[in-house]
This record gives sequence, structure tokens and C-alpha cells, in this order.
Amino acid sequence: MRLRQRFYLVEVLVGLRVTAAHFFVNLGRHTAHYVFGRKDARGAVTVQYPEERRPYSLRLRSLHRLVRREDGSPRCVACMMCETVCPAHCIYIVAAEHPNPEIEKYPARFDIDLGKCVFCGYCVEACPEDAIRMDTGILEFSSYSRRGMIYTKETLLALEPAGPDGTPRSPIPIPADRTP
Amino acid sequence: MTPMLTDLGIAFGRVAFVMLFVLNMGGLLTWVERKQSAVMQDRIGANRASIFGLRLFGLFHPLADALKMLTKEDFLPARADRILFTLAPFVSVLFALVAFAAIPFGDVLQVGGREVPLQAVTLNAGILYVFAMLSLGVYGVMMAGWASANNYALLGGQRAAALMISAEVAIGASIMGVAMVYGSLDMMEIIRGQGRPLFGWLTWIPAWGIVTQPLAFVLFLTAGIAATKRIPFDFPEGESEIIGYFVEYSGMKFGMFMMADFVETVVIAGLTTALFLGGWQVPYLAADGFRFPWGAALTLARPTVVALGVLAFCLKVAMACWFLMLIRWTLPRFRYDQAMRLGWLGLFPLSILNVVVTGVVLLAWRSA
Amino acid sequence: MPKLTIDGKEIEAPAGTNLIEAARRLGIEIPHYCYHPGLSIAGQCRLCMVEIGNNPRPQIACNIQVAEGMVVRTETAKVLATRQSIMEFHLINHPLDCPVCDQAGECWLQIYYMKHGLYEPRMMDEKVHKPKAVPLGPHVILDAERCILCSRCVRFCDEITGTGELGIFQRGDHSEIGLFPGRELSNPYSANVIDICPVGALTDRDFRFAVRVWYLETAKSICPGCSRGCNIEVHYNLRRPHHNQGRRVARLKPRYNREVNRWWICDAGRYGYKFVDDPSRLLLPARRADTQADEVVWEEIIPLVAARLSAYRPEEIGVLASPQMANEDLFLLRRLVDHLGIPNVDFRVPSRASGDEDRILIKADKNPNTRGAELIGLGPRPGGLDARGVLRAARERRIKCLWVLHHDLLLSAWPEEETREALRALDCLIFQGSNANGVSPSAHYVLPSATWVEREGTFANFEGRVQRFWKAVEPVGAALPDWEIIGRIGEALGMGPLPATAEAIFKALAAEVIAFRGLSYRELRDAGKPVASS
Repeated sequence: MRLRQRFYLVEVLVGLRVTAAHFFVNLGRHTAHYVFGRKDARGAVTVQYPEERRPYSLRLRSLHRLVRREDGSPRCVACMMCETVCPAHCIYIVAAEHPNPEIEKYPARFDIDLGKCVFCGYCVEACPEDAIRMDTGILEFSSYSRRGMIYTKETLLALEPAGPDGTPRSPIPIPADRTP
Repeated sequence: MTPMLTDLGIAFGRVAFVMLFVLNMGGLLTWVERKQSAVMQDRIGANRASIFGLRLFGLFHPLADALKMLTKEDFLPARADRILFTLAPFVSVLFALVAFAAIPFGDVLQVGGREVPLQAVTLNAGILYVFAMLSLGVYGVMMAGWASANNYALLGGQRAAALMISAEVAIGASIMGVAMVYGSLDMMEIIRGQGRPLFGWLTWIPAWGIVTQPLAFVLFLTAGIAATKRIPFDFPEGESEIIGYFVEYSGMKFGMFMMADFVETVVIAGLTTALFLGGWQVPYLAADGFRFPWGAALTLARPTVVALGVLAFCLKVAMACWFLMLIRWTLPRFRYDQAMRLGWLGLFPLSILNVVVTGVVLLAWRSA
Repeated sequence: MPKLTIDGKEIEAPAGTNLIEAARRLGIEIPHYCYHPGLSIAGQCRLCMVEIGNNPRPQIACNIQVAEGMVVRTETAKVLATRQSIMEFHLINHPLDCPVCDQAGECWLQIYYMKHGLYEPRMMDEKVHKPKAVPLGPHVILDAERCILCSRCVRFCDEITGTGELGIFQRGDHSEIGLFPGRELSNPYSANVIDICPVGALTDRDFRFAVRVWYLETAKSICPGCSRGCNIEVHYNLRRPHHNQGRRVARLKPRYNREVNRWWICDAGRYGYKFVDDPSRLLLPARRADTQADEVVWEEIIPLVAARLSAYRPEEIGVLASPQMANEDLFLLRRLVDHLGIPNVDFRVPSRASGDEDRILIKADKNPNTRGAELIGLGPRPGGLDARGVLRAARERRIKCLWVLHHDLLLSAWPEEETREALRALDCLIFQGSNANGVSPSAHYVLPSATWVEREGTFANFEGRVQRFWKAVEPVGAALPDWEIIGRIGEALGMGPLPATAEAIFKALAAEVIAFRGLSYRELRDAGKPVASS
């Protein structure tokens, strides 16, 4: 360290100058915005989240959904690849015999415990049937109970992919125990 | 009205002014802290709390905070010392509050034939009193750390105590220079001294402490920030990331520790104002009106002069608070050992040096 | 013995050994599908190609026997190219079924594809479709599309069981495995075709979709289904408890033992483990007063049982040991009986249903350790009563306290009503066993014991071969191994301290019982050892 830096006080003043400059410049912009009605002057870069939203990236990993066949049944064949690869052990599948021997196997139960999920997207990568995707654009699914974080096959099947701008097209699935 | 009732009323008024001033400033500082940091960082800051849709730039947030803390569970750890645990936050807040009592917020006012000095308590050794009260704050912190029955809390309390003691020593030593220059321990006298002009061709500058004792000012401010245990000296607790002495506290008891920090900030700002920024002095304002060095003059009534003084004091304290906030949101945190080295090997020897140099200069001055 | 060189390493192998077996001794694996050491050689799959000497064409290793001075190479470029081509042929009509196939994870097609596969497929035509999910019998289900026509299953039914239910039908790439008309794959060894099927063509109906095989863990064990003592592996799933309806033991697989069962086990043994995770398991010790049953802790019930056992005169007590129990349990029980001087001890309770027997593996005696009980000596003491005599004496109220271990006396060959009467007449009935049965509801004291997969121990099979079984899963509830229950009761009765492990008991057993002399867990290893011939 140079002597000036070792002495510290000078550097403190330099730092204070930077922050104070920000303070006064921003204060001026705020004043121009609120007092003098200059709406183009913005003193902050904050996005006021629930009212204001930035577009999501197309690659965003959001709430999972189960892809449907044409008849509405899940494309999933309960191969357990996602369950196996899941680092959080948050997928619970129970396989059952499908009446059609060409399909053979289907998930009688397909639960994702979103309270455990780490949104790594491995399940999507591992799926050999393209039966699970994370493209709903839904990010708000908090719950007041652990039970409410467990999403069942029926819920996941009902979800639609997000629109081209990343906005969700299905309503946020609200568990029974959660008052919105 | 009996003279006794008048006296009581005057005494009550003085105390009430100080109490309301300090408490409101403390509460307001939580808002200032949020908003000032936000403006400094290109953010908006807390603005969601509203009453009937009225947001008032987030001014209701301190209220919402208080409401939240009052309604939260007041948790008592199973093996905690019940009495000390409950007492600790009160001790912390109490000593921070009463420290302000000796700081004068205005000149002497004539009320009903009485001379009323505008400070809560008139003490001829006011500095020592303030100093003593600030030091007693250590007990609250230590009690909290000890009574929590938690090793981390205890260690946090130890760190806080070590920090506060190293800061108090530097504060005391740096104030000594001020007391020597103005020849008194009475705060009122010190402020009066700061109203006089400097010497020689510098007579247009008032003799504020910051001019006569610049080194002491820097030392006092640094040690003062350390005494409030706020950034950059917040290693005793470190709001979210360091486990500190109030780790076991919740609800309003936790809130009181936070409040003690803010009140201490106001006290340090008040002391800085009184000792270094001329207290209630307004430049060129004499007892009967403005007298500018270039000869112009403006005669004012006595109550107006006093009112101007009180206003100046409040403004100066607010400015000092703003500056303390600016520092708090600019500097990164010291490590424990760095702060100790700064306190004992930096601030303390320098403040002693300041006393020695001041003494030598004063001797030379008087004998000349 | 002919001496030959495989991949530069010299080996001497007995005449008649084929090249796959000779290479295996050197630790060299020659990939193969149709060859099985227990079956005749078919040469169907052509995967085991190796280069021999200067022969320009690779040849199949399974059907060539070792010869003096032979030079075999298994990893040359030509061999690898051949394997790749053959794998391509095998996979031409193989569906991409792995996600739904139960074999996935233990499939030799997957394993060799990863090693020798042609990763850029050249097949563009529609694959041939064949029947899928066809049940062949009670245990086996066929997916003809996945079959590579190695014919192992056909040869098994022809050569091992001699029943010949299976054959290969149609021609060319339409060939498929199937049942002869009017037949069903229901011989008592039918499920072995699942084990030998190298692909997912034949899978287990019982195990179907139950657990993915990569979730399974294994423990070596012995089948408790009859006195043959087939060596098995217990496959259990603890990682994903929501699979298989929470049942931990997922399946049993045969384990090779040249002296006992070779590669096979019977279906009865394979599917005879269901009682382990059955709802009828006894979970907690219980004490019954009048009609009320109270579940208690071991610390409470052990002194009570000990007190009851010492309250009666030895002649008033009967003990019915079980040949289902391990040698360690039986040995401690004998010690306890001798300690108390109880003369009325027996372990033979004839079953009402007479057991079937054949010349392959199945024995009529459905108990795994009858020989052990005989050798350790749990028959009636001089002047004591046998099992039947005990029950008769109980009816006449000469026996007042009966300790039944595992037996369901109501299913014995004796008249049920007489047995009920005997149980009712008892002053004190102690039942020790893993599952609730006909005796347990009327017992005054119920002691839940661990099943054989929940503990370790040894069984002696009908030939007197002592074989170890290992612990796979933890006991359910508060169940304890039989030796620990008996040991604790013995401890309460002043028989000496409870041995710490089953191994320590076996050590004492080997020191005390002549037939077991010289044996120890270390000595028994995986394959077991016969007892000393008397």
C-alpha cells in the first residue's frame, strides 16, 4: 500500500466524495422528477417489482410442467431418470402399468416438492421423452405450509408454457391451504 | 402561579424538549438511514408502508417497524438469566438517552425574570457527565451477551465491550484538548467560547472547535462512530452476518438495541455540534443581533436571537447525523484486530499528542 | 492340461474348457449373450468373436475349447470391428425402450452398447414390431421386440427343467420367442429365465415397475424357503422409500454356489420373502391381560417373561423351538433350556400340507435349519415330552407354561381343535416370532423377532452345510434378532451376559458342539462349509 492508502483518512475522504456526489446528483434528479415534474429524470434504477416487471429470459428455469400427449395424458413414462438425477431428491414418481403395451408404463403419481427443488433443470435435461419442462414462466408459488409446496401430477399437467415474451399463460396454481 | 410551579414547568419543558428531540431524531434516523443509503446507491428505498394509500416517501416505515416489533414474539431462551436478559436493552437505551441531557441546545433565555439556560440539566462539568453516561452503555451490551446463555452472544458482548472501551478512551482524551482551549468543562461555557472570533487577520472566522482543534475533531468523530458500534465498527454484531450480543433477542427488545444505536448516533452528533461546530452559535450573531466583520449590523430582539440559536443547533445536529450516515454507507467494516489497533495505537496516542501540543501552544500563547 | 496364451498371458486350463471360461480365469471378459456356463452352447449371438492364431477370420470363443499352444487375441482392431458390427445387427430391431424397460441398468445390451456400440445408427427403415408385454406365466412377462434371440431361456426350459415350454417361432427378422400352443411357463423354476435373459425381453411380473434397479442395494443371503439352503442375494431399496409401496426388500436373486444351487433358485423361494414387509409383522413387544393387549418396551417385558419362566417347575414348562431359527438362536435357546432344566423341548412340528420335492433343488422339508436344530440338540430331553406330547400335556394341564418360537401350531398336522384347546388351557403362553399367526393372538407375551434379512446368522442345510447370511435391512419396529431376545431373557435368569454379536455366539457354538468344531464366520466365507461328519 502506498503511504496515502496506509494513512486511510485521505482515501476515506475520496470515498465520501464519491458517495456524496451520488447522493446530491440523485437528490437533484428526484427533486426534478417529483417537484418540477421532469418525468424523464430518474434518480434510481429500481424496478418496482409486482407492478413493474422486466421481461424474463427465454432460458429462464421456472415452475415445472408435465407435457401432455394429444389425449391429455402425461407424456411421462415413469422411467425415473429425473428422479434419479435430481440432486435435491425432490421428485417422487410411482410407476404403473399403462393399458396400451406400446406405452407400457405411466406415472400413477408424480409429485415435485418445490420446497426442496433447487431449480437446476437436470430433470429437463435427463428426460428422454421431453415430458418435463421448466418453461411456464411462473415464479411466484410460495406457500404457508410444506404440504403446499408439493405439486402433484394433475397440477403440473394443467400448466401451459409461457408466452413468447416470457409471461405465464396459466394461472399460478394456488394450493388449497394458501390464501392469495 | 407559584414560583415553585414555574420552576417545575421550566424544568419539565427543558427535559421534554431534549427527550422529544432525541427520540424523534432516533426514530427519524431509521428512515434517513434507508432513504439516504438508497439515494446514495441509485435506489428508491423503502416506500411501501402506507396509511390509506398515503406513502409519504416511506415515512411510515419507522411506525411499521415499531408495530411489527411490538407484536412479535418476545422470546426468552430457556437457560437465559431472566432478569438481566430483560434489563439489558433498557440499560442500553437509558444511558444513550440521558447522555444528551447535558448538551445545551440554545443560549440562556429569560422566562418570568429567571435565567433559563437551554439544556436539560445544568452541570458545570457537563462533559464528564456525558462521557460517563456513554461509558455506562457498555453494561447493557455486556449484560445482553452474558444473560443470553449463548457462547456467540457472550463473545459478541466481549467484542462490543472491547470496542467501546477503546473508543471511550480516545473520546475522553480528544475532548481534553477542547476543554483546555476553552478553559472549562461546562458545555455552555465551551459553546460561548466558540462564539468569539479568532485572532489576528483571522478575526472573521469564529473560533469553533473544528478550527482550533482540527485533529481532536477527526479523532473524536472516529472514536464517536466506534462508540455507536455502527459500520465501519459494527463487528460486535453486524446486522445479518455476524453473530453478536443480541442474537437471542427478538421483538421490541431487539428493537431497543437498534434504537440505542440510533440514539447514540444522535448523541455523538450533538456532542460534535456542541464541541466542534459551535453548538447553538450562529456566525456573526451576537446577543443583540448580527454584526458582520465588514461593519454591517442587524439588530434583533433577544428571543429571536435565542430561537435562531436553537434552530442552528438542530440544523447542525441534523447535518452531523447526515455525515455520520454518509460514513456508515461508504466505508467497509474493520476487522476486530484492525479496530483495536486503530483505537489503541492510532486514536489514543494521537489524542494524547494533541493534548500535549495544545498545552505547549497555549503556554507559549499566554506567556507571549 | 493344455497351455495357451490369451492376450499375451499364459494360462493352463483343463481340456474341454472353452475360451470364454479360460479368459475369465485370467480376468479377461469376452462379451457374450447366448453363452451361459450352466447351459449347452448355442453359438447364436456371435458376439464372443476372438482371433485365434493366424486364422484370418475371427471365431466364436464359446464353442472353441482350449488347445495346446493356442494364441488367442480378444482386443484386436478386427475383433472390435466385428463386435461393433454384431452389436449393430442385434440393435437393428431393438426398440428404444430403455425408459420403460425394467432391465435398464442391468442390461447387457446397454453395457456392451456403451463399450462397442456404433454410435451413428445407419438403420433407416421401420423397425419390426412384435408383441409387447405378453405374460408367459405367473412370473414372467415377455417383450418380443427387445429379444435378441440368444435362446438361453429356450435351452433352460429344455435342459434344466426339462419342461420345454418355450421355442423360437417365425423366420428371419420376424423370429420371436414364444410358448408352444396351449403351454404356460409355469414350471417351478420359471423365473430363472428372467435372470439369464441378457436383455429386457423376459422380465419379472412381481418386480415389474416396482423399483429401478439402480436404487437397489444388495446383501448376500441364504434362502429360508426349504432345507436346500440356496445361496441368494437380497436386493433392497432404502433410497426411495416411496417406491414399491414402501416395501424394502424388492426381490431375491440367485447367487452362484457350485455345491448347492449353482445358478438357480426355485420360484417358491424367489417370491417367498413377502412376509418381511408384510402388515402382519409384529412391531412391538406386547403383554396381554384378559383380552387387553398392551404394547410395552423390551426393558419391561424381558423381566416379566423371565419371572414367569422361573415361576413354574421345569416339568411344567414346554419350549417349541423352530427350525426356521438360525444356529446362533438355537444354541442360546439350548443353553437357556439347560440352565432352567426344562425337559420338554422340541423343534419338530409336522406341517399339515406335505411339502413337494424334486430332483433339482426343492426339498420337502420347508425349514432352512432342521439339520442345525438336530445337531445343536433341541429334541426332547430324557424323560421330556416331544411337541405333540407337550400339547397333549397342556390340554391335561400338566404343562402350564409354553414358549412357542415362530411355529403356527394351528397349521400343524395335528387336529386344530385339540391345539386350540391346549393353547386355551395354558396358564402362560409366550409367542416369539416375526409375524402374527394363529398362535400370537392368544399369547400372553408376544416377543417380536427380526426376519432373516434383518440380521445375520447361519443355517445348516439338509446336507449339513453351514452357510452364512448377512444383514440387509434394519429390523422393523422394536423387533430384535431371536438370539438377542433369548440372550436377554437368559441374562435376566442369570445365565450370564448377553453375547455382543451373532459371531461371538457362533464361536461359542463351534467350541461346544462337536459337529461345528473348527468352523467360524471367517472360515465359512460366502460359500459355506459342511459340518464335521459324525
